[in-house]
Amino acid sequence: MELKDITTKTNPTWCPGCPNFMILAGVKNAIIKFKKKREDFALVTGIGCHAKLFDYLNLNGINSLHGRVLPTCLGIKKAKPELTVFGFSGDGDAYAEGMEHLIHAARFDFDYNYFVHNNQVFALTVGQPTPVSELGYTDKTTPNGVSVYPINPLKIMLASGASFVARVYADPKQVEWIMGEAMKHKGFSFVEILQPCLVFHPQTSAYKEKCYSLEKEGHDKTSFREAWNKADEFDYNVAEKIPTGVFYQVERV
Amino acid sequence: MRYNILFGGEAGQGPNVLTNVLGEALVKLGYFVYYSRDYQSLIRGGHNFNVLTFSDKEVYSNDSEMDIIISIDEATAKIHEDELKKDGILLDGDHQNMYFAGALFKVLGLPFEVLEEELRILKHRFDENIKEARDGYEAVKVCFDIVKSKKNKGIFVDGNEGISEGAIKSGIDMYYAYPMTPATSVLTKLAQKEKDNEYFTMELENEISVINATIGSAMTGKIAMCGTSGGGFDLMTESLSLAGVAGIPVIIFLSQRPGPGTGVATYTAQGDLNIARHAGHGEFNRVVLAPGDPVQAYKLTNQAIYFSQKFGIPSIVVSDKHLGESFYTIPSWPDLKEIKKSRKLKRYNSYEKDGDGSATENSRIIEENVLRRKEVGLEIEKESFNFSKYEIFGNKKSKNVVISWGSTKGAIVDAIDGLDVKFIQVKYIEPFPVELANEFGENLILVENNATGQLAGLIAEKTGIIIEEENRILRFDGRPFLRDELKKEIEERMK
Repeated sequence: MELKDITTKTNPTWCPGCPNFMILAGVKNAIIKFKKKREDFALVTGIGCHAKLFDYLNLNGINSLHGRVLPTCLGIKKAKPELTVFGFSGDGDAYAEGMEHLIHAARFDFDYNYFVHNNQVFALTVGQPTPVSELGYTDKTTPNGVSVYPINPLKIMLASGASFVARVYADPKQVEWIMGEAMKHKGFSFVEILQPCLVFHPQTSAYKEKCYSLEKEGHDKTSFREAWNKADEFDYNVAEKIPTGVFYQVERV
Repeated sequence: MRYNILFGGEAGQGPNVLTNVLGEALVKLGYFVYYSRDYQSLIRGGHNFNVLTFSDKEVYSNDSEMDIIISIDEATAKIHEDELKKDGILLDGDHQNMYFAGALFKVLGLPFEVLEEELRILKHRFDENIKEARDGYEAVKVCFDIVKSKKNKGIFVDGNEGISEGAIKSGIDMYYAYPMTPATSVLTKLAQKEKDNEYFTMELENEISVINATIGSAMTGKIAMCGTSGGGFDLMTESLSLAGVAGIPVIIFLSQRPGPGTGVATYTAQGDLNIARHAGHGEFNRVVLAPGDPVQAYKLTNQAIYFSQKFGIPSIVVSDKHLGESFYTIPSWPDLKEIKKSRKLKRYNSYEKDGDGSATENSRIIEENVLRRKEVGLEIEKESFNFSKYEIFGNKKSKNVVISWGSTKGAIVDAIDGLDVKFIQVKYIEPFPVELANEFGENLILVENNATGQLAGLIAEKTGIIIEEENRILRFDGRPFLRDELKKEIEERMK
């Protein structure tokens, strides 16, 4: 399988320089390297900027509703267990509209892979705060600034019993690598991709310099307690150091 | 000949087991048996009762007066004393429930061996049950000289059995649900039979998850179905609309109970005809079918699957608590339409999509997509003429025409026996059989288990014919129609 086999004719409409282009490149490379046929994959996306990926990535599947990516993945996987199933969501999709599905997907631990493009903002609806927007974030709907703490999705995933919890930055190499790891993992794989929104949340571009690799640090990904401590290092509010890589992995299937 | 027996007791005392044992025994003896369940939303205590009606002729409903009342607890006799006929029999006292089975068999003059056989099939507590039943049998005298049965060979099933068997025989692959009365027993029945069949059932975290998992499975070419009641169906409606635009064949079993809101959780109503027709934003094709007995539930589930697969559309089978959880005597399950699976995994979309399956905002493509869906709508309507969309009972030439849909069929068929009345039961809600306007006589009478006459609204919308207020027999207290009361209501409106 070559790049052209999984590329549609549609011209991307993401903003110039959007990190979603980097994610798309990483996703395509990972799929090609996995040495399967195009028909062996199923792709589900939600609604938001991330979901345009469906229009550019020529795989079978569905560009579904806002928040409903995970139950759709479940339905596909249970119907055709031989398929490798990818779900993609934004942070609005995963942590607001569809949070209940996320918790239960971790509990079910069925073998599909979930990638959350987290830009901490509702970008396609022009800039409203999401459950992971930092304190003080302002837009036209929230002129006095966000007054509640963001949730920490990695801790929610760990607490819900997820068997694969990871975070990467929107860099093609990191995305390609983590997709490979997620596909190899038997069970539900949760991957958050930090994807700064250059238009509505440009300050988060600084994340790139604050990220460091858990693998290089010798993190023990089989330790729940260490995973929890690492997940605690970045609270989505103030970024000092942001761990990336696989926080936790245990196989139950 | 027609006898009504009321079995009452606290939840947990086993009035259902008792009613089932008697019902099964009477069916094996060749009688026609029907029973309905009246139970509260609690697990232990309270007051639950079943009314069983049996006859040597077909029977589909209860009456308001009882020949026998079985009071397993003290309360039943008091609560229902006004319903006992003057020459009726009350069986009460502090006994285990199978004592009453024995006593009942004796009172009716039925052979003890038949009861013994039923208790053997029941297995649970056989030694205790048989002893209690014998005590009861010996404690009372024969009171009724019931007509010998004609050795009818029937099976005894509830409406939800029709849905689940229809789904299995149509080859379903997946059934998803979240527990909600009165749809839950379809999940229970399917889950119990899962290991002997090649399908998958799963309870998910909520109805939104349920419908989207159904969509996910259906997209791959599998036959995928889900079930719920009104509140859960409300949660599903955004995804119903998705199935509509994306052309995904999902089948939804919608079992009604009284709304709005949580309403009355364990009682019956026909208040969801309009949401079945209209749920979901935007304009898209759907099929809505409404069975009135277990055999129709079986056949219409099959037809819902057929239409879904053939046209890539959502289909809804609308039933209710009364049909779903009442037991009927049916001859056997009929033959079904063969289902051909039509879908395969490709690129689906909740947006209007272009030829590659990608989202589009192109006005020409949008218009083409909408026109294609309209065309499919016409094809669905054309195809519906290959099926029986409504049924006619009674005097086909009568000017008195009763019209209804769904579970009211039983009480109406029983009530019009001997009257100069024609009864039209509408089974296809969407596509609606507009041609049935030709069947309306000069005196059209509506029967519905709701307060606003939703079928009357549909008839007015499709045919322009208005059913007068005084000709609308509506019941909306959570209870089903009873034969004798309904007969009076119809007689008062006959010309």
